[in-house]
Amino acid sequence: MKITFKVNGESRSVEADPEMPLLWALRDLLGLKGAKYGCGVGACGACTVHVNGRAMRSCAVPLKAVQGDEIRTIEGLGGNHPVQQAWLEEQVPQCGYCQTGQIMQAVALLEKTPQPSSEQIRAGMEGVLCRCGTYPRIEAAVHRAAGAMTTKAEG
Amino acid sequence: MLTRRDFVLGSGALAVAVSVPFRAEAGAEAAARPPFVTAYLEVSPDGSVKLYSPTTEMGQGTHTGHAVIIADELGVDLERVSVVTAEPADPFRRNGQMGSGGSWGVRAWYQPLRKASAQAREALIAAAAAQWSVPAAECRLERGEVVHAGSQRRQGIGALAAAAAALPLPAEPVLRPKSELRYTGRKVPRVDLPAKVRGEPVFASDVERPNMVYACARLSEVFGAELDGFDRESATAVSGVLDVVAFPGGAAVVATNSWAAIRGAEALRIRFKPTPHDKLDSATISRQMRAGLGDGAQPINARADGDWAAAQAAARRVVAADYEVPYLSHAPMEPWNCTVEFGGDGEVHIWAPVQTQDRNRNAAAAAAGVPVDKIRLHTTLLGGGFGRRLGSDGIAAAVVTAKVVKRPVKFFWRREDEFGQGWYRPAQAARLQAALDADGRVTGLHVRTAGPALSASFSPQGLPAGQLDGSSVSTIRESRYRPAAFHVEWVRVDQPVPMAPWRAVGATQNGYFLECFVDEVARAAGRDPYQLRRELLAHDPRALNVIDTVARAAGWGEPLPKGRARGMAFVESYGSLCAEVAEVSLRDGRPFVHRVVCALDCGSIVLPDGVRSQVEGGIVQGLSAVLGEAVNVAAGAAVERNFDTYSMLRITDAPERIETIIIESGEPMGGVGEPPLPPLAPAVVNALVALTGKSIRELPLSRHRFA
Ligand code: FES
Ligand code: FES
Repeated sequence: MKITFKVNGESRSVEADPEMPLLWALRDLLGLKGAKYGCGVGACGACTVHVNGRAMRSCAVPLKAVQGDEIRTIEGLGGNHPVQQAWLEEQVPQCGYCQTGQIMQAVALLEKTPQPSSEQIRAGMEGVLCRCGTYPRIEAAVHRAAGAMTTKAEG
Repeated sequence: MLTRRDFVLGSGALAVAVSVPFRAEAGAEAAARPPFVTAYLEVSPDGSVKLYSPTTEMGQGTHTGHAVIIADELGVDLERVSVVTAEPADPFRRNGQMGSGGSWGVRAWYQPLRKASAQAREALIAAAAAQWSVPAAECRLERGEVVHAGSQRRQGIGALAAAAAALPLPAEPVLRPKSELRYTGRKVPRVDLPAKVRGEPVFASDVERPNMVYACARLSEVFGAELDGFDRESATAVSGVLDVVAFPGGAAVVATNSWAAIRGAEALRIRFKPTPHDKLDSATISRQMRAGLGDGAQPINARADGDWAAAQAAARRVVAADYEVPYLSHAPMEPWNCTVEFGGDGEVHIWAPVQTQDRNRNAAAAAAGVPVDKIRLHTTLLGGGFGRRLGSDGIAAAVVTAKVVKRPVKFFWRREDEFGQGWYRPAQAARLQAALDADGRVTGLHVRTAGPALSASFSPQGLPAGQLDGSSVSTIRESRYRPAAFHVEWVRVDQPVPMAPWRAVGATQNGYFLECFVDEVARAAGRDPYQLRRELLAHDPRALNVIDTVARAAGWGEPLPKGRARGMAFVESYGSLCAEVAEVSLRDGRPFVHRVVCALDCGSIVLPDGVRSQVEGGIVQGLSAVLGEAVNVAAGAAVERNFDTYSMLRITDAPERIETIIIESGEPMGGVGEPPLPPLAPAVVNALVALTGKSIRELPLSRHRFA
């Protein structure tokens, strides 16, 4: 079945099993390797991307559900997104495998809640596991990105 | 000894061998071995500097540490230095095994890298001095250029590399004084982070080859069961599935994409042969380990200071407690995968996330049926290791599959197999006893641990009967506590569950046993646990300084808000002394850690922020384990097979605050990746015991009710 959707602003079509999770279509069929496979059951967040602006676990979203939707992946952030900058300034990643999911989750969180409290950050980021233990830096980086994005918006 | 002819590089480059005098495998004893060369430093004609290193970058920052050491000692900007994990096929390699573990990444390499960089510097200076006909002593190397002080002539090192390569290397180069080091000890951004933050394809799972197919493994759930057979059509009926390939221990379902391969693997009707442990469960393992604590068992001695029997006989009272910990999974976030391609020229290329390159290369060669020098193993960045990638249990099947399908294959395990295939941190039980005199002083300690031998499972040569498994007693055997009598022994209780070193290895369980017991003893004697530790360490200023530092910073003894308590622990591992104080309360009946203060004496450091990051990671992983992690066994297989059942810490349960105090005592450089982990569990448990009065002798804490 042919399924068409937008990825990072560009219209893309894939010919695939409609049950195929978006994760594998992005990685294997479209060559976008940013979203990662961690569990396949929606429990780790490594595969997090945005579907119509909402952070979703792409391993748990079948292709048939995103027909015509807008998908954003880490590749679509451009590399200099304030959240990515904050991640570098706080030196967040260790192995880095979970971090694309963390960053996409953080971007979605900040788009909805521009000035989150620590509790809101923790609640918002809960779905994305990090085995290396970068949580303290993730929290700090989200605060930093929130500051930077607000300053920019005001400036 | 190496000769200059050993280095036949691209023309115009200078190469210097890096010789490391020893290496220790995680979990194994640090054995003295003859010097070997697995790394070399290359100065290219364009002035860039590259280290071909045998260490693996799995997030611990080793490559950045190496780049900083080189940039400083050689005298170049950090941006000019890059570090790649060499291939084990590298022609410059001499002797030795290639791999990363045991927190050796920076400490084993610090002096050798400085020496090699200084040799390169002196050769480059000599080359410039010869060109300009000036004394070498009048020249310096700074920011990538050799400068002659008198004439202010300068020349980039790239242009000097070829001439330097023709000169003899100084045997004993002079290292730079600390004042000349620009990066060491300062905050330096990690070299691997920009690509990771951009989401670039840096992991093995991201590797793509032309004409590649995807192979999902279907493995036995029962540990070590052999393949009996399968019904091919059950998988090939799935659209996109191309083939099913048998290998020892399972089958690979090959398909045009990952999803089809996963669906095919799930659909595959497969049979495994029965094993003697088809009914094994956690209760049986626990019973057998605890039987090892009793009188009938045969202990192997590990430490016998003083006379325990006499201490026991003379004691006013003897305190005793039994403890038990479960198997733990490493659970790196990247499940096992690798990409294998048989080239037309007889070479086999493999892109893999491995910590032990030689071990994997040998396994791959055996599986491919080719000489080992035909295996080209490319180590990618690792999506976590923690010891799990020290093994070679995933590589052979991938090679067999690629050989059969005659196309490049991306071979992967589902998360369920990453959890289910074992290679866990061992389960273990322990009985600890302390003899106390009339003043509540500890006159003797007796520790027996009982459990499976890590080395029997993990070391290729196994562990002969009657020999001690070092990991089963580590940190207790070496403990700095000095009661008059200190006896340590171990009882071997073999299990068919595969094991591997898990971040900080034996110190994770043994640190918990000993440090929780010290608190139990303090309570029994009505004493402050910190003061009791001071008494046991009274002879040892370095250790005292570590626990005093953490006690001061944590405000030990000062009042806390109601419903909170502190716990302390002190564990030495991998050459570093580490003490932690945790502040704990109960939140909805579950333990919550507000603050952890960590004092780490690792001798000296290269990257302060890297050390902090490792401390935080160790504390978070340690907290994850103590709160909820356990692999249970039922019907000969792991019960927990994904993150929905294996409880790993989420950010909501992370400590509110982690404060790290790095102590540079000037002692030999210790590890930092592992030492911060072991004290966390006992610090948290001790705090909880202080808070609730409940004794906690089994982990994880999720097994206990606090209300
Ligand atoms: S891979 Fe999608 S949540 Fe884990
Ligand atoms: S950085 Fe390694 S899993 Fe998060």
